[in-house]
Amino acid sequence: MSEKNNTTIQEKVAQLHELVAWFDGDDFQLEEAFDRFKEAEKLAETIESDLDTMKNEITILKKRFDTE
Amino acid sequence: MEKNENVFSVSDYVAITNQTLEYAYPNVFIEGEVASFKVNQGKYVFFDLKDAGASVGCFMTVWQLRMPLEDGMKVVISATPKLTPWGKFSLTIKTIQPKGEGTIKKTFELLKAKLETEGLFSPERKRQLPELPTYVGIISSTQAAGYADFVKIAERWGGVRFDVAHVQVQGAVAADQVIAAIKYFNTLETLPEVLVIIRGGGSADDLAVFNDEMLVREVAASRIPTLVGIGHEVDTTLAELAADVRAATPSNAAQILLPDKEELRRSVHYSLQSILPRIERSVGEQKTLVHRSLTTAYEAIERRHDEYVHELANDRRLLAELNPHKVLERGYAMVRGEVGVGESISIETRLNYIEAEVKNVREK
Repeated sequence: MSEKNNTTIQEKVAQLHELVAWFDGDDFQLEEAFDRFKEAEKLAETIESDLDTMKNEITILKKRFDTE
Repeated sequence: MEKNENVFSVSDYVAITNQTLEYAYPNVFIEGEVASFKVNQGKYVFFDLKDAGASVGCFMTVWQLRMPLEDGMKVVISATPKLTPWGKFSLTIKTIQPKGEGTIKKTFELLKAKLETEGLFSPERKRQLPELPTYVGIISSTQAAGYADFVKIAERWGGVRFDVAHVQVQGAVAADQVIAAIKYFNTLETLPEVLVIIRGGGSADDLAVFNDEMLVREVAASRIPTLVGIGHEVDTTLAELAADVRAATPSNAAQILLPDKEELRRSVHYSLQSILPRIERSVGEQKTLVHRSLTTAYEAIERRHDEYVHELANDRRLLAELNPHKVLERGYAMVRGEVGVGESISIETRLNYIEAEVKNVREK
C-alpha cells in the first residue's frame, strides 16, 4: 500500500522530468507543446495531491528484547 | 558446644554462604579500578577490582569481555558475589562497562584500532541506502528525545512503514537489547530496507553502549543496510563507524533517510515554471520567423513594383519619343493621300491641316 504510493510518486516525478526534458530536447515542437504542458501540469497536481495524503505508519513492536 | 547449634561441613558452609550471597546480592553493581588483569588459557579473565581502601578478585570469560581491558581502567561491573571452594571471595562478572572519560576514551581507541585492522570501518564495505525506503526498522528507546526528534523530522515525508524496536539505549543491558533487536530485524521474512539505530545526546558513559564490541560487530554484520545516529554532532561511536551511513544526530538520520515533501513540491513547481520560458522562447522564434518571411515578401513585392515602375517609365519615354506630334513639333509635316500628279493630298503640320494637289512627282 504505502510501497505502491511511493513507487507511484517516484514514477510520476520521473515522468514529469521526462516531460520537462522534452521541452529542451530536439524533438520539441510548438504545436505539441501546449498539450504536453497541460499533461505536465496535471501530473504536477497529482504529485502534489499524493504528497498531501501520504502519512507514515509507525508500529511499536510488542516484542521485548531482554536477553536474560 | 550447645546441642541445637548447627554444624556444617566445609562444603555445606561454602554452599550455604553462596546461597545467602546470591539471595542478598543477585546482581550487584560495583565501580572500581582494574588491577592485575590477566587472561588464562585464552578463555578465563581474572583481575582485581580495587579502590583506595579495598580490592576484590573478579572472574569472567573472554566472551563476556566486550571492551579492551587494561590495568588502571575504571569500570562498572555487574556481578554475583561468590565464595570459591578454596575459600576465596570473588565476583563472577556478568557485564563490565568503562567508567569515566579517560577509560572510555582509552577503550574506544583500543577497540577502534582493533576493528579498523579487521576492516570493519572500511569504505568498501559501505552500502548505499535506498533512495525512498518504504519499510524501515528503528532501534531506539521510544521514550528518548532522540527518537521523538527522528519521528518529527520523518514527517517531512510519508508513506513509510516504521517498525520500532523499543530498547534501552543506556545501562548494562542496553548493548544486548540493541544486539537482540538487530538480530530480530535481520531474521524477518520480509526485511526492512534500512535499519535505523538512534539515540540522543548523553554523557560519555551513556553513549559508551554504542562502543560495545559485540554491538559494533552486529551492526557491521547486518544484512540490512544500517543508518546509525548517536548523540550530538561531536560524538562519534564505533557503531556509527561500522554503519553503512553515519548520521550526526537522530534528526539528521531522518533527513538522510527521507526527502522533504516541501522540497519536492518546490522542485515540481520549478519544473513546471521552467517549461514556460521554453514555450515563450519558441513562440518568439516563430514570431521572428513569420516577421522575417513577411519582410522578405514585402521587400520582394516592393522590388518588383519598383522594377515595373522603372520599366513603365522607360516605355513611356520611348513612347513619347515615337509620338508623331513630337516630329511635327520639330517642323516636319505628315502627308496623307495618293502620290500621283493631280491627286489631292492632306498635309499636317504642327499648326495646320493643309489640303493640296500634287503637281509633279519625280523619283529621288
